[in-house]
Amino acid sequence: TISRQNKNLMQLVYGQPGLEIGAAVQERLSGSESEDGEDDEFFKPKGEREKTSNEGIGADSFSAEDCSKYSNYANTKDWSNDDLIQSIRDRFVTGDWSK
Amino acid sequence: MGKVNYKRLKGGQQFRQRLVLATLSSTPILIEDIRSDDISPGLRPHEVSLLRLVERISDDCTVEINDTGTKLKYKPGVVIGGKHLVHDCGLSRSIGYFLEPLILLGLFGKKPLSIRLKGITNDPKDPSVDTFRTTTMHLLKHFGVPLEGLDLKIESRGAPPLGGGEVVLGVPIVPGSLSAANWIDEGMVRRIRGVAFSTRVSPQIGNRMVYAARGIFNSFIPDVHIFIDSKSGPSGGKSPGYGISLVAETTSGCLISADSAVCYTQEDLDHMNDSEEKPDLLPPEDLGVRVASMLLGEIEQGGVVDSTHQGLVFLLCALCPQDVSKVRVGRLTPYGIETLRNIREFLGVKFVITPEPVTSTVLLKCVGCGLKNLSRKAS
Repeated sequence: TISRQNKNLMQLVYGQPGLEIGAAVQERLSGSESEDGEDDEFFKPKGEREKTSNEGIGADSFSAEDCSKYSNYANTKDWSNDDLIQSIRDRFVTGDWSK
Repeated sequence: MGKVNYKRLKGGQQFRQRLVLATLSSTPILIEDIRSDDISPGLRPHEVSLLRLVERISDDCTVEINDTGTKLKYKPGVVIGGKHLVHDCGLSRSIGYFLEPLILLGLFGKKPLSIRLKGITNDPKDPSVDTFRTTTMHLLKHFGVPLEGLDLKIESRGAPPLGGGEVVLGVPIVPGSLSAANWIDEGMVRRIRGVAFSTRVSPQIGNRMVYAARGIFNSFIPDVHIFIDSKSGPSGGKSPGYGISLVAETTSGCLISADSAVCYTQEDLDHMNDSEEKPDLLPPEDLGVRVASMLLGEIEQGGVVDSTHQGLVFLLCALCPQDVSKVRVGRLTPYGIETLRNIREFLGVKFVITPEPVTSTVLLKCVGCGLKNLSRKAS
């Protein structure tokens, strides 16, 4: 999924450049009724974006839960595996620096 | 009084960030349709509690909630801070939920903040108070926050569902503004530290978690030290539980954390009252292995912070003066992405996000919005 992620990270986060959403929609509290249509427009892109950017990050795992901890127990790997151990060995000071 | 321009938002998601960003940017907000289609509609108890907390530390802010709690009008005031405040965080979310917004608001207050928070200190969902103490607080120094006055004392622990924990948080104020960070070197892991806690269970459980976690790290690094904190009596809160919080320190001073805890739920407790047998919890060995694996997963991902702290780092970058900040993270989390969107919406700061295929990390660059500590200036 990483290569797919690379192509459009900016788009994934901020949406398609074509369909720019107003950064600050501010309106008078009075007379808000007539501008409901605008609200719809304002909030739609986000939902669509999540649908189109389904792979990789966030699509189904994003829920309304307001939680900064990203716990993904399903993806926890078995770190007693030798290949895995070797793959991150150099991230430690005990790794092989000569390379 | 003239009419107030409210920024109109919908839905109950990202509540904490919206509240923090609205307050810091002095933007009145009107949130509608807060879980209006939900079985239990409206604001959750912890969200109301957070609103009360924000009200307490700020001056001249107004909060209006409609009867069903699906609509909120919030006009931010000036963050004042203050000493010897007390707040009961309730039992629907842990103290970790409140700490993150609180620390950001506290930094931009008029006076330093010192507050006693009561509730749940460790739970499986939110970052624990241990992680906050060992990792989150130290992250701030990369943005020029003075470390004096920044502390968190854990006076007693409380696991869900009944809580009973108490912590005292001290947050200094930023004298002028933050300073931009150029923080892209994650370095190499040089040691691993951690805290294993247990409340109202056999003190042996702490050792069992540590033993299992250390077993995983043995193939990587010898310098592992995990402190065991077994609480019993009043300082152990009202519910049994145990958990572990681990931090990897790198040669460049980055801190990568992972934590988790296990405890009974309210349903379990009701069940226990009916019948004598206890539902099984995840054994301490398995929890130790799980959290150690999570930490190695974070290390594998790379980046100067772990996935839990992405949101906070992005916020700090955006709140910097008008200099370029640069940070490197591993894979972007859903919460991190939502944070970036909220930042653009409230502060108008857009990050330049470039992936680095070689290390499979992501570089983020932005020019801060130049937020000054206005509360202080007004005095």
